[in-house]
Amino acid sequence: MGVIARRLAGHLARGIVMILVVATISFFIVRSIPGDPVAANVQKLIQQGMDPVAAEQATRVLYGFQPRGTLWHQYIDYMSGLFTFNLGQSVSHAGQPVTQVLGEAAKWTVLPVLAGTLLSFLVGIVLGVYAAIKRSGKLGDVLAISGSLLHGVPQYVLGLLLSAVFATLIPILPADGPVDILYEPGFNAGYLGSLAQHAVLPVATYALAAYGGWILAMKSSVVTVLGDDFILAAELRGMKRSIVFRYIARNAILPLFTILALSLGLLLGGAVFIERIFNYPGLGLLLLDSITMRDYALMGGAFLLITAAIIVANILADLFYSVIDPRVRGGEEVST
Amino acid sequence: MSVLLESSSTSATMRRNFWAGVWRVMKRKPSRMVGVVLVLGFAFMGVFGPMFYPAQLPRDPNLITSPPSAQHWLGTDDQGRDVIALVVTGSRYVLLAALVTALITVVVGTGIGLFSGFKRGRWDTVLMRLTDMKLTIPGLPLLLVLSTVWKFGSPTQMGLVLGLLGWGGVARAVRSQTLSLRERGFIEAARGLGLSTTHIVGKELLPSMAPYIAMNMLIAVTGGVYAQVGLFFLGVLPYESNNWGQMLNTAVFRSGALTVPSGLGFLIGPLLAILLLTLAIVLVVDAMDEIFNPRLREE
Amino acid sequence: MSERSEVTIKQSTAAREAAAPPRKEAPGVRISGLTVVYKTPAGELPAVRDVSLTLEPGSITGIVGESGSGKSTLALSLLNAVQPPGRISTGSVEIDGLGDVVGFRGERLRKARGQHIGYVFQAAQNSLNPLKTVGKQLLDLGRSHGVDDLRGLVREAKELLGRMGLDGARVLDSHQHELSGGMRQRVGIMLALVLNAHLVVLDEPTTALDMITQANILKIVREVHAERGLTTLVITHDIGVVAEVADRLAVMYGGRLVEQGPTRQVLAAPRHPYTRGLIKAIPRLVGDIDEAQALPGRPPTLVTVPKEGCVFRERCALRMDVCDTVDPQARVDEGAYGPRIVACHAVTVKERA
Repeated sequence: MGVIARRLAGHLARGIVMILVVATISFFIVRSIPGDPVAANVQKLIQQGMDPVAAEQATRVLYGFQPRGTLWHQYIDYMSGLFTFNLGQSVSHAGQPVTQVLGEAAKWTVLPVLAGTLLSFLVGIVLGVYAAIKRSGKLGDVLAISGSLLHGVPQYVLGLLLSAVFATLIPILPADGPVDILYEPGFNAGYLGSLAQHAVLPVATYALAAYGGWILAMKSSVVTVLGDDFILAAELRGMKRSIVFRYIARNAILPLFTILALSLGLLLGGAVFIERIFNYPGLGLLLLDSITMRDYALMGGAFLLITAAIIVANILADLFYSVIDPRVRGGEEVST
Repeated sequence: MSVLLESSSTSATMRRNFWAGVWRVMKRKPSRMVGVVLVLGFAFMGVFGPMFYPAQLPRDPNLITSPPSAQHWLGTDDQGRDVIALVVTGSRYVLLAALVTALITVVVGTGIGLFSGFKRGRWDTVLMRLTDMKLTIPGLPLLLVLSTVWKFGSPTQMGLVLGLLGWGGVARAVRSQTLSLRERGFIEAARGLGLSTTHIVGKELLPSMAPYIAMNMLIAVTGGVYAQVGLFFLGVLPYESNNWGQMLNTAVFRSGALTVPSGLGFLIGPLLAILLLTLAIVLVVDAMDEIFNPRLREE
Repeated sequence: MSERSEVTIKQSTAAREAAAPPRKEAPGVRISGLTVVYKTPAGELPAVRDVSLTLEPGSITGIVGESGSGKSTLALSLLNAVQPPGRISTGSVEIDGLGDVVGFRGERLRKARGQHIGYVFQAAQNSLNPLKTVGKQLLDLGRSHGVDDLRGLVREAKELLGRMGLDGARVLDSHQHELSGGMRQRVGIMLALVLNAHLVVLDEPTTALDMITQANILKIVREVHAERGLTTLVITHDIGVVAEVADRLAVMYGGRLVEQGPTRQVLAAPRHPYTRGLIKAIPRLVGDIDEAQALPGRPPTLVTVPKEGCVFRERCALRMDVCDTVDPQARVDEGAYGPRIVACHAVTVKERA
């Protein structure tokens, strides 16, 4: 257990450094936006009849740092706000705290991304095993090439194609937001059904975008494990085929957990496109809207939260890996 | 003299063997030939394509966002221009920016990877930590945020930004290649022969990694295309010149190509171009992999 | 230490006599005319060519050869487990009580492996699933072979491990990475024997182990062989290992058996020039290091091994014209301790003269 705790501590330390770096980036970007929106806001409030001190105070609440003072002071102000989870207020959401707006949006990103990842993981692994076993045949070739192709194609192309085919040409699925507005939100069949129906295309896009990577990774992993001595040893001991297959599968899946983190990161980063195409009010769309509406506090917050989600996904994937691999648990460095 | 002759003749046979190998690999899977032809076709389109069309594409006010027809194979856009003409003229911007992206990605990535793997020690640790961080920060959101302060509209600027954000993967890969060459005693042996560092890196390490770097560069080209088309599609960058991302943006968000089927051609044009380019590069990289990776060849 | 192990020996034999399973006899094995070919770009090339060898019931036979001599392929043939792109092209492997395993397929072959024939991997190879404890893999083995009394199986495994000087309960609860090379090797032997197989093949049992562990493992092999009544085949490149454990010795070169006979006789009076070279190459603890002479040249590979004539002629000091064209036939001399067989033109000529 000590080893896992040490790994976790290392991850957390690195994760915190990353968050600080990303927060620094967003701070400096907001500071260097042409036309200085912070100063402009103070001016605007004064013109509206506010006294200068109150105007500065209001602006500080808005952006999370003092509008006046040296760059260094402002930076310290912004970062210390971060530790109390104060990211400022969102102009475009009637002055709601940024954290609250982000919390609303997060579920629309996290759930479809998780569903898509899980789906593609399962399908990709099964087909990857198949591609490995049939690797010298035609079918293996087709699977491998389709994997590389899907792995290569950007998410928005997949999303647009799916939307064009299933929402426009043969309009059988909705592509206009997360749910029909005529249903009352809550645990009723109409609302949940509509929710599920609207989720099909986004989830399918996430799944298709990630599936290629899984199939390729699983294939190469299975090919490696098939060459391992212990598989031959199990056969020479007369182990049942089903048991040998389980040995292969478990050993081949293990290294894929390191890719799980990468895949989640990729999907979270690409959520901007998918949410834009399907009008899903998640973090990606929020980030995009905050940019077009010049809501810089919200922009910084959304960027920060997306990065944080990726870091958390990394840590979880690594923890999971350590728990199921006895070599890590025992403290031995795994070389392969 | 005789030594010279001999070495030149061996290198000539080696070259012949190489091309024979290339030919065999191509013949084994003819689809790869398609890939090569497609890549050449895209290069031709980017360089010479726009010359076949007038600077101002003809507009047909009677045919606005029309579906595919005999006259306009993929239909017309919202100003009555032919979609295929738009794809061809737009390709120069897209491919030029992608090329710049790939060049910068590969030069910076190879430089950092080589340095890191060659020096090892503290430099390596610091550089790789940095690379890891870069790989963790989601690229697209970062680009979006950057777009608020920097309107990188021109193809070279675009390439510069994307390249500077994209070298992480190449640096990691080149570093591990360098380390594995080192493990095989490559570098120590060259040191033992009294060769200078420049010679070892320039004449021994780089050539043995060249195919690998070339493959990475091709992949970086596709990455460059995706990223910039994506940015224009989202509409966060100012209009610079006609390009595929711009087309997607107009098609989806202004002409409602996803709501009216007649506008689908407008959407399909750039999508098809991206899909074909991806297919071409996947096939070529697959062929290169087999040519330069003898382990795969023997299977 | 020695006292303790003696006690465990007594206990384990007593326990086995009490709950004796239907006792199988040590089987005899007759390999005849066995040829194994590998598919290469240059066509199918033989790794083992026309090998005939008899393992007497209850004997330990050692096969010695350099890497690439075909000894491991021969060992795998005993389980009909030659891996693709290789295959047994002709010949038979008759095992008493089983039949010709070359014809075995599917379930019949699977059941023969493990229940009748035990195979022990090299210590350097990872023959255990890294993700499961030894105990769980033991249970997998039991389930694979339809063992009803899994508790009995675990008891038997603990006994075997204890017999080999290990803490059975602890080892069964360990993962592969928690075991040393010598411990892994003992676990390998346990897994080969726990289903009560009476024919055991050990592939390089001592390679990659330190000297003391080597000696221990060989002692265990000898003792377990005698106690359980086994027929044992040991594959090695180390002639010292064979000298230590084997009753009979067979020497392989380039896929051919060039000499075989009772171990003492072959070591004392080697006939084939290759066997002589091998013995000369052993450094002795006493005497000058220069006395050890390495055999000149390199062993042949699948591709470079001569297609006709004697396979050893390239490195042979006694090479004659006939060696280039005619494959030397095996000459059999019956002796008091079993037959001596040698396949060499030079030996035949000398004895005729």
